Amino acid sequence: MLSEEYLVQQAVNGNQAAFTQLYNQNFDRIHRYIYIKVRDRAEAEDLTQDVFIRALESIGSYKWRDLPFAAWLFKIAHNRVIDHVRKQSKEKRAPLEEAYAKSVEDPIQMTERDYEVYQLKVALEQLPEAQRDVATLRFIGQLSIAEAARTLGKSEGTVKALQFNATASLRKALHGKLDG
Amino acid sequence: MDRKLDDIFNECYERIRSGDSLESCLRSYPQYRAQLEPLLRTTFDIGRRVSYIQPRPEFKHWAQVRIESAQRYPRQETRAETPAASTWWRPAWAIALSVILVLLLTTGSTMAASSQALPTEPLYPVKLATEQVRVALAVSDTQKAQVETELANIRAAELEAMANAGKTDEATKAVDRYNDQFQKAVAAIITAGGTEPQPPVYIPPTETIPPVVTTPPPVVAPPAITTASENTTPPVVTTPPVVTAPPAITTASENTTPPVVTTPPVVTAPPAITTTSENTTPPVVTTPPVVTTTSENTTPPTTTEQQPTTTTTPDKSKATKADNMIKSLKNSTSKSITALNDAKEKASKDDKRDWQNAIDKISKKSQAKSSTTKDTTSQSDNVTSNQENSGAGVTSQTTVQSDNNTAPSPASPSRNKPSSSNRRGTSR
Repeated sequence: MLSEEYLVQQAVNGNQAAFTQLYNQNFDRIHRYIYIKVRDRAEAEDLTQDVFIRALESIGSYKWRDLPFAAWLFKIAHNRVIDHVRKQSKEKRAPLEEAYAKSVEDPIQMTERDYEVYQLKVALEQLPEAQRDVATLRFIGQLSIAEAARTLGKSEGTVKALQFNATASLRKALHGKLDG
Repeated sequence: MDRKLDDIFNECYERIRSGDSLESCLRSYPQYRAQLEPLLRTTFDIGRRVSYIQPRPEFKHWAQVRIESAQRYPRQETRAETPAASTWWRPAWAIALSVILVLLLTTGSTMAASSQALPTEPLYPVKLATEQVRVALAVSDTQKAQVETELANIRAAELEAMANAGKTDEATKAVDRYNDQFQKAVAAIITAGGTEPQPPVYIPPTETIPPVVTTPPPVVAPPAITTASENTTPPVVTTPPVVTAPPAITTASENTTPPVVTTPPVVTAPPAITTTSENTTPPVVTTPPVVTTTSENTTPPTTTEQQPTTTTTPDKSKATKADNMIKSLKNSTSKSITALNDAKEKASKDDKRDWQNAIDKISKKSQAKSSTTKDTTSQSDNVTSNQENSGAGVTSQTTVQSDNNTAPSPASPSRNKPSSSNRRGTSR
């Protein structure tokens, strides 16, 4: 199997197959990461596509710095989500729970799985921003501590602390829902 | 201690991710078992829920297709890398497309047909739309002024057509359109460096205010030039304050006229008009009218013509262009008024009021921005007399007047012009 660095170099040099491989390796997790951060499926799909189109457009200027390619993709995704949320907040975004209650995805009509994902979304939304970012990158994006730290521009120690606190908060939120 | 627990928790989480069991990890840190176990189980729970998030197969497919197509057309890449370039070529394309569009429109049969369309015809909106494109594509101020002037002439032609057809309502609407366009054209001419044409037109009191004495006012202005040519006249002139605006040259030429004017009251009006027109149009235009009057007076024509040249503004070509545009605006106004007058004459008693209203409208708006509108007929006369000066006059009344004026020097060009206008007037 080709190393990621080699693939990235190939993609930077315009090798379409290399980029496609990187795309396939990262598509699902980028989609998950975005899906958990935005309101609905359509938004998540649009943003996911957008992330990869942007990545493709600027891959030529990418420089390998011992940072996994995924970290770069998550950075793009993170920025896109922030932009998206900002736009939405300008349009007076309702809290997530409220939005879900009003949305077509009525919890009663959701499948059990969908409902569990929905609970996770709500739980994440309730976290402080820093914890939420770490939790999303670690548990959903599956980045390592080092990768998450570099993506967020924080020290590994800080990320570990945030991760620990986020997990404790999520446990409370999810257990409360499950128990209730 | 907390710090340590963070690390331990992270280590366990990584170990489990890489295949180790929860139990083995907890065994490694029995003292933290109580804290670690629920948190690690929570991570399992989160992982389980996250695994439910899967992109829809059709979305995944189309996303892949899109990426592949984006890869095949690397233009997008370059666009992203050089945002400046992308913003640069977009307007360029827009311009190119609009030029092509205009070419197609202007050469196409639809366009050809619409260019002749009258307000009552279905293609008229197309015509108006195309005109807007023309205006938008005019780059320089002069070009813009030219286009706006042409459009004013077109509006006038439509007005004439409506008047000739005896369509009162349509003619009234056409008057409104003409007035609007006239204002636009005047504004554009001014921006292009021309002077405002309107003031001159009003000034002359004509039939309504025929007083022989009134004519002298024009003389008033007499700046340096006038005095030089005819010192004798000035005394009379002093009274009229209106003259203030007129440029030196015009007044000068008119100074000569006063004496002649005194005898025939009718004649007086035309000179006044000419002077006003000259005020607006600094150089060339002003001269012709002057010549006619001056010729009668003792003052030689040559002197009057020289005066204009001396006073001309630095940018001659601009001024002449503006002059021509103003002239054509005046022509179109007078033609429109003549047509409306004709229609009024032919109309029944009831309709005559409507036609008169239309005449009033055009007189007020297009001839004078200022509120000094006077009797419409007199205004129209003024305009026509102006036209005569410029060689495009129509009305029979004015021609007579001008004939009276132009009795003298046969060599002067202004003389020839009135005669041509006579012909037109009689034919009508």
